[in-house]
Amino acid sequence: MSKSTLNAQSQEAVAAHLEECMRRTAQKRDKAAFGELFDHYAPLLRAYSLAREPGAMLVADELAQTVLVKVWNKAQTFDKQKASLNTWIYTLARNSRIDMLRRNSRYTMEIDPEFLWAEEVDEQADPFVAVQQKRAEDTIANAFQHLPIEQQEVLTKVYLEGKSHQESAEELKLPLGTVKSRIRLAIQKLQVLVGR
Amino acid sequence: MTVNYHPSTELLTAYAAGSIPLSQALCLAAHIEMCDSCKQNYKRLRGLGAFMFGQGSEQEHAASRETNAHKNLRQQVFAQIEQDKAVESTQEKAPALLQSQLQEDHLGKDHLGKGRLSSRRNKADAGVKTQTRIPKCLQQFIPTSYEDLPWQRVSPSIKQVNLCSDANGAQVALLKIKPGGSSGHHTHMGDEYTMVLKGAFSDETGIFQQGDFIVRDKKHRHRPIATKDSECICLTVVEAPIQFTGYFSRWLNPLLRLIHPSYAMQNQ
Ligand SMILES: [Zn+2]
Repeated sequence: MSKSTLNAQSQEAVAAHLEECMRRTAQKRDKAAFGELFDHYAPLLRAYSLAREPGAMLVADELAQTVLVKVWNKAQTFDKQKASLNTWIYTLARNSRIDMLRRNSRYTMEIDPEFLWAEEVDEQADPFVAVQQKRAEDTIANAFQHLPIEQQEVLTKVYLEGKSHQESAEELKLPLGTVKSRIRLAIQKLQVLVGR
Repeated sequence: MTVNYHPSTELLTAYAAGSIPLSQALCLAAHIEMCDSCKQNYKRLRGLGAFMFGQGSEQEHAASRETNAHKNLRQQVFAQIEQDKAVESTQEKAPALLQSQLQEDHLGKDHLGKGRLSSRRNKADAGVKTQTRIPKCLQQFIPTSYEDLPWQRVSPSIKQVNLCSDANGAQVALLKIKPGGSSGHHTHMGDEYTMVLKGAFSDETGIFQQGDFIVRDKKHRHRPIATKDSECICLTVVEAPIQFTGYFSRWLNPLLRLIHPSYAMQNQ
């Protein structure tokens, strides 16, 4: 068995365990289970915030606290048929970051972001779509490490650092067109999209 | 519905990452509500974000868990959920309300400014049943129907209503073109995002129908014409606003014209 297969297996086991913690948090209001979620996700959330604002420890703590309190309060709304736990928490983190950017005027207050990201609130869970989604996520996990470094770099700018294409181009000292084509190439290699 | 024109891969990626101005996100959200294929791809791109979010060095995370910062944060979060639990138990008298609240709150829909808009939105829900369906993301600006908006006449065949502006100066507006009407040749300083909400229009490059999403850059000079059978309503986001805006602000603010002679000149 290759090292990466082993690694993938242990990651699967971790994911399954965290989902079980989530179930106990939602159904039993189990604080020990929530504590495990906290220990797993707090470092990820702080890293996510620090990627955008290096050194801003207080901002990072605030984001982690906001998201983890939501995880506790909204635990019953989590539905693994609709999105994986990682996706659910990532979405909470992304939206909280947008809220924080609005509060410090970097995003406009004139637009309410509440309905701007089509989430599956009012959708029926579709097992077929869920299986497809899971398969897409597995493909990404396997292919990501084989992406050329420069493609990983632009994806990091956009997803983790929250930079616009223009900002990414300036920071990487690249033409705007190069940033865009690297994103397109990376998305193609990861086979993220269907029908294009 | 057949949607023929979609946002580019890199734009959809930026949207999934939450790293675009809210005005652009608004335009993309309106498209995605009408386009199943982009909705599905959005979710997959969001999955890529979730993967990257979940990565990182396990060693570093393990070290992070041993820090005092982590332990302090843990205490704070546990203290807060204890406090919220006390509030929750007083709310148990109205379980139906709590349940609907929870439903609504699925997946981080708990943004700031919600209270500010909720009454407007209720009105919108009542209104949409009889009208052309207004995308959910736009109901914050269009509470009842397109017809009820304060449209301003820009030319014999065009009306416009400004919805809001973005932190980067971009203007978000609706344009209404009469059947067979043309908006005239125009160019703009920055990129222009257009989403067809109702009807259809054509220009030198093609025919654009309900749901279609088009980006024009500043080099592009175009002359959209609405199809003959019905009026066309479009959502537009213009990074550096064009001349229509001058007309509108003159209407709104005659004082500005007095203070800035250039304003009066430009609008003669
Ligand atoms: Zn589309």
